[in-house]
Amino acid sequence: MARLRFERTILLAALTALGITWILFSREEVSEPRPIALTEAPIVGHLAPDFTLTTPLGEEVSLTDFVDRDGASGQPVVLNYWASWCGPCRVETPEFQNASLRFKNQVAILGINQGEDAQTVTEFGLSFGLTYPLLVDEDNAVNLTYGVNSLPTTIFIDRKGVVREVFIGILNEAVLTERLNRLLEEG
Amino acid sequence: MFPVINLGPLVLPTAGLLYILGAWFALSLVERTAKQLKLSSEKTYGTAATALFGGLIGARLTFVVIYWQVFQDNLLGIIWPLNTGYNLWGGLIIGLAAAFFYGRYHKLPAASTLDALAPGLILGLIVISLADFLAGPGFGTLTRVPWAITQYSMRRHPVQIYEVLVGLLALFTWWRLRNGRTFSGQLFLLTVTIYSGGRLLVDAFRENAWLSDGGYHILQILSLIVMVSSLYLAAHLGEKELQKRRQNASG
Repeated sequence: MARLRFERTILLAALTALGITWILFSREEVSEPRPIALTEAPIVGHLAPDFTLTTPLGEEVSLTDFVDRDGASGQPVVLNYWASWCGPCRVETPEFQNASLRFKNQVAILGINQGEDAQTVTEFGLSFGLTYPLLVDEDNAVNLTYGVNSLPTTIFIDRKGVVREVFIGILNEAVLTERLNRLLEEG
Repeated sequence: MFPVINLGPLVLPTAGLLYILGAWFALSLVERTAKQLKLSSEKTYGTAATALFGGLIGARLTFVVIYWQVFQDNLLGIIWPLNTGYNLWGGLIIGLAAAFFYGRYHKLPAASTLDALAPGLILGLIVISLADFLAGPGFGTLTRVPWAITQYSMRRHPVQIYEVLVGLLALFTWWRLRNGRTFSGQLFLLTVTIYSGGRLLVDAFRENAWLSDGGYHILQILSLIVMVSSLYLAAHLGEKELQKRRQNASG
């Protein structure tokens, strides 16, 4: 029995030592930002593709107006893809309006329309009393770049322009608040 | 990756569908394994279902409590939409507690019940990895190995497939040992040992791993603790069983 115990102890000690060695070997350098933003792609961990769209009034808005890929002076961006005919989009729109007021000057919320004209976008904005920018994407160029095939879709981008989450479906205020706080905490 | 499945006007989230299917398969598996181990399949199934649904409800309620200021004016938001708004730790604690009390109430043998639940638990973990693989929230590190997959324009380790293989190995271990267990709880402990050991190994190939401040993979640390603890317990209980048998033989 003593021999059995001895063997058991040796086995456990060897496994623990192996495990610790493997953990040390797998350790990642975190003193610098992790190099996961390898290419531009609308995918978590990659640089969000830049774009320029216009508001119904013709004002140009680009992603790089907000994010700063080289430093930390940018601000997080939320891209909310929507359409006037999309019921779920209408459910969540007031949450984005509330969040845009609560996180004013901290997070940029951009509502990107899918395939509708400037008039429709204007009417939608007025009916909800929206104050955050609504962008016209009549030829769906940015929708296609971001691979949006289901509405609503919301993409969370950190201040360095890296996609942090692609959320498909309705967001409620609690989840939106949690995600925005997390984006701000991540720095 | 296939985050959604388009069926005409219907857009179904792949991960959500897999979770539902996975829950159903896992519960069915528990029912079968309980029969194999000569336990009450109905009560063992009940324990698993209590853990699952208790966990889901607990995860939701914990989230609602944490963000109550948001829900107090929107009570419908507590039950809809269901595709988000859960707290992992709340779900785990409440799910385990619910299963524990269910088992106590029905006077189920704890160790044998865990033996029967192990395959369902592992199957659930396999489904989570598979859903991650198809929906794309996690991905492997860059590599040039021949079995690399192209994910997000780069050749990467198929880390979720590694996780699935680890799960299958754990299930195979359970299946091989099911008729030869020497003490109650052995199947659970050895299955968990294999699975946690495997996750300790493959998490090194995950690009977006959960890291500590020092850059260590937190999942690897947890896996090591679980692996060593379960193996120690398995060895300790096995030794006690051996002693008992020797005493019986000599007495």
